[in-house]
Amino acid sequence: MFIEIDGAKCMGHGRCYAVSPDLLSDDDEGFVAERGTSWEVPADLLDQAHEATDACPEGAIVVTATAPADA
Amino acid sequence: MTETTHRGCPVTHTDYTQTTPIYEHYALLNADREKERFLFNDSTERGFFMLQRYEDVQAGFQQHQNWTTAVRSALRPGIGEPLLPQDLNGEEHLKLRKILNQFFAPAAVRRLEPLATQRCIELIEELKPKGSCDFVAEFAIRYPTDLFLALLGLPVSDGEQFLEWSEELFSAMLAGEPERAAAAKKNIIDYFETALEDRRANPGDPETDMVTRLLEARIDDEPLSREQIHTILLTLMLAGLDTTRSALGYIYTHLATHDEHRQEIVDDPDLIGKAVEEFLRLYPLVFQAGREVQSDQEFEGLQLKKGDVMWIGIGQANRDPRKFDDPDEFIIDRPGANQHLAFGGGPHRCLGMHLARLELKVVLEQWHERIPEYRIAEGAELTERGGQLTLSTLPLEWEV
Repeated sequence: MFIEIDGAKCMGHGRCYAVSPDLLSDDDEGFVAERGTSWEVPADLLDQAHEATDACPEGAIVVTATAPADA
Repeated sequence: MTETTHRGCPVTHTDYTQTTPIYEHYALLNADREKERFLFNDSTERGFFMLQRYEDVQAGFQQHQNWTTAVRSALRPGIGEPLLPQDLNGEEHLKLRKILNQFFAPAAVRRLEPLATQRCIELIEELKPKGSCDFVAEFAIRYPTDLFLALLGLPVSDGEQFLEWSEELFSAMLAGEPERAAAAKKNIIDYFETALEDRRANPGDPETDMVTRLLEARIDDEPLSREQIHTILLTLMLAGLDTTRSALGYIYTHLATHDEHRQEIVDDPDLIGKAVEEFLRLYPLVFQAGREVQSDQEFEGLQLKKGDVMWIGIGQANRDPRKFDDPDEFIIDRPGANQHLAFGGGPHRCLGMHLARLELKVVLEQWHERIPEYRIAEGAELTERGGQLTLSTLPLEWEV
């Protein structure tokens, strides 16, 4: 499974890295450091990936079965 | 005979600006949300379209390219102090947020925690021997005021004097008395200017000192003007003090009247982080964000025109039963409680959200360690201000 964080939609609420500390991290401005990227989620962190998706009030995070086309 | 539909949208007349008994606004918000998916409210001169369900409110915050903060409150379009960064939109807004973000990011807020904790303990220890206080006036507004000064690198010992001016400004603004507001504002700006003078002469590290950063910042190679810096500082004050006071008022009313919830956090302070999220969901103070439509648009079947005022219903979304089970209940370990929209969304989401969370967490931890049992004084009648909720008083008592 792949996670993709839309850099334009992310507004820096910081909820994703709060609920998914092993998968995501914060930058100096409080945005998720991995915004604007996508990568394959390790199987043991899949739960955290789904939690991050649910926690985002902007709908900026998606988890998909295949790699995003532009990745 | 007033109209029953407006451009095909059912009309409601609910007035959200009145002072009422506590919790009445949440009942009004729930009732309006369950009447119809969308409503047009004609209680103000311009009227406004109300987005009320969680999904619609969330979508509303995403419309920022066409719905701007030319109107900040659906209830008071076009009135009020200039605010920065709020009044900017699009690229201009992002540029200014970029200057400020780092001082309000979780990492920066964590640096403030030791001071926030120390000041909190001092204020509680001062009140504890008295056995009673007006929690709103004697604690809930003093604490965020002191931390605001600390954030600016100003001495918290100035808090008492500063509070007099800021309270005068709040009250004059709410009463719609521009002359009194201007006088209060001048005192505050003069005070800010002493801090600015000091930093011009003795610059700090712009990475950690916000005032220095504001003085050194460039947007498109231009420094911020003196007026812009004043407006930014005033905005941070207006945004951070009243809201924190209000949140604390509702949280302490809840805990003083729900022994079982208070006992839970006394017994296990590790639950406080979750409790804070659930309190933010259940008792949002800013229960609506306003926006103004910039060009004709269809939104979910609503026919919007340029100049329409939108109500983005934070208060309705946070208690929407389509999103949250038993939405009017406080459930400390509610799954997904942090999906509330108390801090708004989109590019204008609350800059101070992480600081607010820290302040609320520190207060709940330190207070309950020192004063685990308290009650509301007998006979107290609690009222809430409309527009943007706050309790006027909250008399608390405890054994000493």
